[in-house]
Amino acid sequence: MLVIKLWNCLRGYVIIKIVGQYGERLINQAAFHGIYLWDIKRHEENILLAKVSVRGFFRLRSLARKTRCRIYVLQKRGLYFSLNRLKRRKVLSLGIIFFVAAIYMLSSIVWSVEVNTQNETLKNSVIRDLERWGLKPGIFKYKLDKKYFLDKILLNYKNVSWAEIEIRGSRVIVELVEREMPPEVEEDTPCNIVASKDGIVEEVLLLRGEAVVKPGDTVSKGDMLISGSVSLAGGDGEEEKLLVRAKGIVKARVWYKESVEVPLVESVKSYTGRVKKAYKFRVGNREIYLQLGDVNFSNYVEEDLKVRYIIPPAFGNVTFNPVLYREVKEEKRFLGVEGASQEASQRLAEKLKDFPGDVQIVQKKMEFTLNPEKQVVVGTLTVEVIEDIGIEKEIE
Amino acid sequence: MKRNQKEGLKSKFIEVLDLPKDVVLDLPRVTVTGKIGVFIENHKGIIEYASEKVCINTSIGILVIRGEGLFIKYVLADEIFVEGKVKAVEFEE
Repeated sequence: MLVIKLWNCLRGYVIIKIVGQYGERLINQAAFHGIYLWDIKRHEENILLAKVSVRGFFRLRSLARKTRCRIYVLQKRGLYFSLNRLKRRKVLSLGIIFFVAAIYMLSSIVWSVEVNTQNETLKNSVIRDLERWGLKPGIFKYKLDKKYFLDKILLNYKNVSWAEIEIRGSRVIVELVEREMPPEVEEDTPCNIVASKDGIVEEVLLLRGEAVVKPGDTVSKGDMLISGSVSLAGGDGEEEKLLVRAKGIVKARVWYKESVEVPLVESVKSYTGRVKKAYKFRVGNREIYLQLGDVNFSNYVEEDLKVRYIIPPAFGNVTFNPVLYREVKEEKRFLGVEGASQEASQRLAEKLKDFPGDVQIVQKKMEFTLNPEKQVVVGTLTVEVIEDIGIEKEIE
Repeated sequence: MKRNQKEGLKSKFIEVLDLPKDVVLDLPRVTVTGKIGVFIENHKGIIEYASEKVCINTSIGILVIRGEGLFIKYVLADEIFVEGKVKAVEFEE
């Protein structure tokens, strides 16, 4: 039945008034002749209301003459008549067409180009270059040649290992994966090995080059440890220099010092879990907040959620983002000297964990002192480690 | 008399063969949906229609539907669907 109803709505139907004493007879005749009548109602003594399709109506007219009924059209309904009405309203139909065309046009334009990668500088330079090559807001997305731009990116950026362009609606999203570039220094570039930290040399393991320091020497940062210029003892007393890439491990005793301050009275901030949401519009430099009610938290932290551009950034700075107010509870904790030193030692122990695993810790010492002026306990950690301090440095 | 005999023979024949009676004997099929609608198949036309009473001709007599606010949802050559508050459905000989 639904199909028939839909069909009738599309083709159009009329609500008719049947006036006459034998309205039933007309209905019978109509049914017999295969004219579909529906929603028949008795309106008054001699009047019936019914619905009939447009084509059925014309056939019904000849039947009505036979059964001595009169038919009046009360209403015309359905898409057919709506379109007919629309034909007379030229400007409206023109507006509809224009509207659909405008939506289609606007949705086939690229409105924003996004580059997804971790590296900010790479992101910015890729966006700039894409703009230069022609991928920028305002171009038609059907004309976009993905392969061309992908090739351009991969050719021009050696540190991009994988790239993908995705068109999502009116946004173009460029996904980049950065490649870890091998160290710049080539195998045959002459190098010295210099100290990266201050320390006392413990052990020198020479692989290539000429050792400048020996165990027990004190070196400071930047001092040469292994020289890349090797002197060749010539037969006639003349010294000849050969530049090589120095290689070796220089282990040295290095001291690290870390300190933390823990106040005797500590205030701890914690979220209570109560939040309030607001919306922020930003037009140029002006900000408009939209929110329901006031923020009735005594302490809160404002957090901006994802910023959306209402119109592309190229055309103006109109943004919209939800703002979350999180209620914060501030608690004061009295640690005391004892508690503060414990806290300090805990924090120092955590810092100790951050040391790279390949160093050898020889000695560690923790000291706690009370600073009465600032009401803090200062914890100092001194660690003595033995590690490789050599780094390569090119010979100019 | 003869006609009655013939009918009786026919209905026996149908009983033995287990055929659907409404099809073979040209009987109307009336489906009443709760109190809200009556669906009649195999009718012979509408005799009278008012919002309290609808009379429909069938091969075995007149079917009278009484109720309130009755209206004919649709009419086809052999189907009628009457909607409204149905109070009684009865056959008049």
